[in-house]
Amino acid sequence: MLKFLAKLGLYFTLLKKVFSRPEKPSVYYKQTLHEIVSLGLNSIGIVMVVSFFMGAVITLQTAYNTENPIYPTYLIGLGTRDSILLEFSSTIVALILAGKVGSNIASEIGTMRVTEQIDALEIMGVNSASYLILPKMIATLIFNPFLTIISINVGILGGWLAGTMAGVITSEDYIYGIQYAFIPYYITYSLIKTVFFAFIITSVSAFHGYYVDGGSLEVGRASTKAVVHSSILILLFNVILTQLLLS
Amino acid sequence: MIRVINVNKSFDDNKVLDNVSVSFEPGKTNLIIGRSGSGKTVLLKAIVGLHDIDSGEIWYENVLFNKLGFEEMKEIRKEMGMLFQGSALFDSLTVEQNVRFPLDMFTKKSMEEKTDRVNFCLNRVNIINANRLFPSELSGGMKKSVAIARAISLNPKYLFCDEPNSGLDPLTAILIDELIKELTEEYSMTTIVNTHDMNSVMEIGEKIVFINEGVLCWEGNKDEILKSDCAILNDFVFANALAKQLRASGR
Repeated sequence: MLKFLAKLGLYFTLLKKVFSRPEKPSVYYKQTLHEIVSLGLNSIGIVMVVSFFMGAVITLQTAYNTENPIYPTYLIGLGTRDSILLEFSSTIVALILAGKVGSNIASEIGTMRVTEQIDALEIMGVNSASYLILPKMIATLIFNPFLTIISINVGILGGWLAGTMAGVITSEDYIYGIQYAFIPYYITYSLIKTVFFAFIITSVSAFHGYYVDGGSLEVGRASTKAVVHSSILILLFNVILTQLLLS
Repeated sequence: MIRVINVNKSFDDNKVLDNVSVSFEPGKTNLIIGRSGSGKTVLLKAIVGLHDIDSGEIWYENVLFNKLGFEEMKEIRKEMGMLFQGSALFDSLTVEQNVRFPLDMFTKKSMEEKTDRVNFCLNRVNIINANRLFPSELSGGMKKSVAIARAISLNPKYLFCDEPNSGLDPLTAILIDELIKELTEEYSMTTIVNTHDMNSVMEIGEKIVFINEGVLCWEGNKDEILKSDCAILNDFVFANALAKQLRASGR
C-alpha cells in the first residue's frame, strides 16, 4: 500500500513538472506538431482497420442474435450504431491505442532515460518532463477525438458493407436504422471519454518511461507496465464516466 | 570555481560519498579518478545536481547550488555543458539539430546566426560535413566530439565530462583529451573530467583528485601523482603491466 502511495505521489509530482511553464513555447509548438504526426496521424491506419472489422462483426452478430420476425431488421443498424458510438469507438479504440501509442511513449522516454538523454536535457536547464511529455499529451488530447470520429464512421461503414454483402440487412434498412432514434449526446459522451482516455494513455505511459531505472530490459518492462496499467485505468474510468455521464 | 564541502551521499545503507571536500579551479582540467564503483560518477552527478546529496554543500562561485530551487538551478545549469559517457546525443535529431538544440531553447538568435554558431562549434571539434547525419551513423569518437560541440554551443562556464574516453581507441582518446584541454584554456572554463584512464591523467591532469570507496584519498597534479606515497593510489596508478615495468626500472 505504501509503495502504491509513493508511486501515486511520484505520478502527481511528474504531472506538476509537466504542467510548469515551458521554456520556449515556439519549440513546444513544433514538438506538438511532430507528435500529432507521430502519435496521431500514424495511428489512423490501425484505427480504420480495427474499426472496419469490428463494425462488420457487430452487424453480423446483431443480425444473428435478432433473427426473429418480431424484430424489424433496421434494429441491426441501430444496434451497430449505438455499440460503436457508446463503447467501441471510445473504449476499445483507446485500449488499442494504449497498446500502440502507450508502448511507443514508454519505450521512447525510457530509452532516453537509460541513455542519459534526459540527464542531458536537465543539465542544459531544460525541464525534461515538460519538454518530453507535454507535447505528446497535447497532441493526443487534440487528435484522439478525431480518431474516434474516424472510427465511428469507418465502423458504421464496415457494418453496412458486411450486412449488405452477407444479405442480413438491406441498404435502406441499415441506413434507416443508423438514423433511427439518434441521440446526438452519445457523440459528446464518446468524445469526453476519448479525451480522458487520451490523458490516461499519455500520462501513465510517460510516467513508466520517465522513471525507468536500469537498462534495455527495464525499458521493455516499463513498456509492458505502461500498456497494462493504462488499459486497467481506461476500463476503470469507463465505468466511472459512464455512470457520471449517462445516469 | 566549484567547491564541494563535506558532501555525503548514500543509496539505502550503501555509503557512496563520505565527507568529500574539494575545490575545482577555473581554466584548468580537474580530474576525478578512481576505480570503477569508487563513487566518482556519483560525485560528478552530485556536483551537477543530478543526484541529491544527503548533507554538505556544493558552491558555484558564491552560490550555494544544492539548496537552490528547480527554477534557480536551471539558471546555473544554462552555464553548464556536459559530455556523458555514452554521449547522450538525441537519437531523433541530426548532428546539426543536436548542436543547435541549446541555442533553440535559450537564445533568440536568427536561424542564420544559429547555423553559423553550430558550424563554428562543429569545426572546432573537427567534425566536417556531418551536419545532416544522425547519431546512429557516427563512430564513437565522432559522437563524443559532437557531444562536446553541443556542450560548448552556449559558451558554458563549466564543462563536465563523464568518462570521455570510454570505448575509444587510444589515438582517438588522446584527441578527445587534447580537445577538452584546449577548450578549457580557450574559454577559461572550470572543467571536471571523471576518468579511470591513466593516459588522460598524464595528458591533461592539471588537478587530480583520487577517490577510493567514497573517500577522497589524494589531491595533486600529474607531476606529483607518480611520486605519491599513497599506497592505494599507487596500486591504481601502476595497475597495468607497462606502468609496473616502468616503475620497476625506475623510470
